[in-house]
Amino acid sequence: MKKKVLSLLLAGSMVVSMAACGTEGDGGQQGVGVPVGEVNQQTYEGDHNEIEGGSSSELTDGRFAETRHITVEVYDRGNDGGSDPTDNMYTDYIKKGMLEDHNVEVEFVAVPRWTEVDEINNLLAAGTAPDICLTYSYPTIQTYADMGGVIDLQNLVVDNKNDIPHLWDWLGTTNMYWDKSVQDGTLWALEGKRANNNRIVTYVRQDWLDALGLKAPTTRQEFYEMLCAFRDNADTLLGADASKMIPFSCSADIGWRAALLIESMIDPNITDKEFYVNGFDDRKYTQNGVKEAGRILNQWYNEGLMMEGFALAESSDEDSYMKAGYVGAFMHNWDYPFRNGEDSINANLARLVGPDAKFVAVDCFEASNGQYIKYCDSTAGDRKIFFPTTNDEPLASLLYLDWISDPAHIEYLQCGDEGVTHTVNADGSYSFMAATGAAIMNSGQNIDMTITCNGLCLSTPELTTLSLANNYPPCDPADVAQANAVANNGKKPTKNAKITAIEAETGMGEALNAKRDQAWALSVTAPVDQFDTVWDTNMEEYLAAGGQAIIDERTQAWEALYGDKTMLD
Amino acid sequence: MAKENEEMNSSGAGSSVFEKPERAKAAKQPVSVYIKRYWQLYLLLLIPMVYFAVFKYSPMYYVLIAFKKYSIVQTVAQMPWAKNHGFQYFIQAFKNKDFIYALRNTIFLNLLDIILGFPVPIIFALLLNELRFKFFKKSVQTIAYMPHFLSWVIIYGLALQLFAPANGLINILIKNLGGQTVHFLDDANTWVKTYIGLGIWQSFGWNSIIYLAAISGISPELYEAASVDGAGRFQKMWHITLPGIRPTIVVLLILALGNVLGSGFDRPFALQNNLVMKNAEVISTFVYKYGIKGLQFSLTTAVGLFQSVANVIFLLLANWFSRNMGERGIM
Repeated sequence: MKKKVLSLLLAGSMVVSMAACGTEGDGGQQGVGVPVGEVNQQTYEGDHNEIEGGSSSELTDGRFAETRHITVEVYDRGNDGGSDPTDNMYTDYIKKGMLEDHNVEVEFVAVPRWTEVDEINNLLAAGTAPDICLTYSYPTIQTYADMGGVIDLQNLVVDNKNDIPHLWDWLGTTNMYWDKSVQDGTLWALEGKRANNNRIVTYVRQDWLDALGLKAPTTRQEFYEMLCAFRDNADTLLGADASKMIPFSCSADIGWRAALLIESMIDPNITDKEFYVNGFDDRKYTQNGVKEAGRILNQWYNEGLMMEGFALAESSDEDSYMKAGYVGAFMHNWDYPFRNGEDSINANLARLVGPDAKFVAVDCFEASNGQYIKYCDSTAGDRKIFFPTTNDEPLASLLYLDWISDPAHIEYLQCGDEGVTHTVNADGSYSFMAATGAAIMNSGQNIDMTITCNGLCLSTPELTTLSLANNYPPCDPADVAQANAVANNGKKPTKNAKITAIEAETGMGEALNAKRDQAWALSVTAPVDQFDTVWDTNMEEYLAAGGQAIIDERTQAWEALYGDKTMLD
Repeated sequence: MAKENEEMNSSGAGSSVFEKPERAKAAKQPVSVYIKRYWQLYLLLLIPMVYFAVFKYSPMYYVLIAFKKYSIVQTVAQMPWAKNHGFQYFIQAFKNKDFIYALRNTIFLNLLDIILGFPVPIIFALLLNELRFKFFKKSVQTIAYMPHFLSWVIIYGLALQLFAPANGLINILIKNLGGQTVHFLDDANTWVKTYIGLGIWQSFGWNSIIYLAAISGISPELYEAASVDGAGRFQKMWHITLPGIRPTIVVLLILALGNVLGSGFDRPFALQNNLVMKNAEVISTFVYKYGIKGLQFSLTTAVGLFQSVANVIFLLLANWFSRNMGERGIM
């Protein structure tokens, strides 16, 4: 019992310190240059000394007597010209290391990245899931755990603690115990750690701004005026292709692709309670103020600032419009236009449109208090790692997680070999280069290989920051640094309310997400005078379909745990 | 179904004259004698029987999931019964607005398919039958049934290129001719027309094959006699060809009606999108969304069971109706 209380306290204090780090940037500093202090979340934590753990008798010097075999999920992103996700330079490195260090044979199982939740559901339901599974969707894990399909990791990580020091050091109690239930102490999943919790950034075409003599927008109104200017000057900007002009590009996932606009309409003084109660939807559909963001998007759409039928577009179509140079602005993951080397959006623009053509990050969605708030995840909230009950080798699987959490291994997996994937600069930082063949990383910083770590993480934070900007050849490091600065400006990380199981959420995730996306698409494309009706009807349906039940249960759960308190410590 | 197969097999084997006397003696001889004598045929019969037992009958046991609280680690027998005497999930389904929409859309889209789509292959077969130039007839037929071999995902890809509002070929053409954008894919009502239209386009050629086969079975003497009596082309079509294929039409119509509540998965799934969901969600996609993606296996098994039972009722009704109208029916 004592141990539990202690670990809770520790976790609590971590959350607070995390929140403190996150709000540092609220001052609203802008422009190029990376504030070094911001990346301090990736230091090793080592805050678990109070937890007494054991070690397994099965191991001698960390090795099994007989060779064990485990299967590990790896995302298949289907990149053009990528390497085989289950067989490349990095998988070989892991396989060799695991066999040498622990006598464990590793086999990788590819799961398509963009349908991972469906796919892992299918594998779990069929009883053929890999021994080590990961998904971004905690409700999926919870649902399977409720059915008895997931191994409880609580005792496993403590009893074998001395065999998995790197994992404990890297995740710390924060991420190790993030999903631990306050009610019954079960632990179904370990939260992979974000070395970099940058989320979404707004991008605009620098060369279009220059051509029209505009400044980079700094407010919502200026952003709107800029979009109008793009639309009205399509002939100047696109010539014969003027009809293809898309001032603001968006996909069917509006809640993500207009997130900064949407979130800027939320009351900046929202209580932790209200934020938690509505926090089941990661697109913040039911949070206060979101309807007004919908109204703005509806206006944009009806004024021809968005593509007609944008909700039909596949994301690959949208990418090709961006690459071809028809798109003026968009919001997406903070490093989106730099991803994929020679096939990145900015590299394509430079090639197809001209050397000046590129997307640059801007910060222009101010909340009512004038700050550029970026709601983001804490170091948790990345991929959740879990073992299905079909896993016969939980210890070997834990050793795998430990092995890939070793800082030396993380660094190799992210940086590869000198001369092949990177060169070392005079200041010690890495410059990354476009790799070929089996050395190609299919994901940025190879995050698909380092499943406990998301984001570049080198031996020191300073080195990481310096190297991060060099991580996207052939894109300009200054552009990356600027995007990183914007992404860090006004970060507001999520706090952990420590309430895990909400019964009303079980099995509702996908259905509600689909309803939300429908509601967004219908509301944004409605005629202006019908916006209110469409929005309200759809919201009503969403709540009736299960949203309200979740809100009610979350409110109750909060009040049961925290009483009248509306803010977490 | 197994029984049907058995019948088909035995009648296929016994289409010869000498089976009947054997049958007459059946009462006296033990079964083993038959098995010995025709063992190859029985062996062949085993294949479809095993298929149906394994893939059609044994899964039926798991229908019980509809009445139980599903668990991934328990066997069906171990799972606890659902609330409300096991009918919890049926009640839940019918209280779910999405399910009601899906039910409505399934019936509506399938009826439209039958009303608009069913006559097309018949008309096509009749027209094709009138063609006298062999090569032309064969080419038209081949081209017409080619779309049948395209998957719906590919058809949707084509449709998107053609019908997308901003940059679809058809809409660009319409706009250049001075018209207004037609929202083929992103307006809920127009979408229904696109859905039905694409369905007809994809399947009419293929479906006409069976009618062409039936037409070729009609005795040429009838046509010759009619010609002698001075019947024209249209009269021959109306009085000989159509009545000649009427049994085929009735059987296919019964089968189609038996499927009013069923629906393929890939066609609605590939064609639907967020903007048209209120008309496009059908039972199969509902089951996929709530069951496979949302992990509510009991709920969706209940929905599936309801769908199957309703389908059987439709089938029996249609069959009964056609028999009362003096047709043969299918059982």
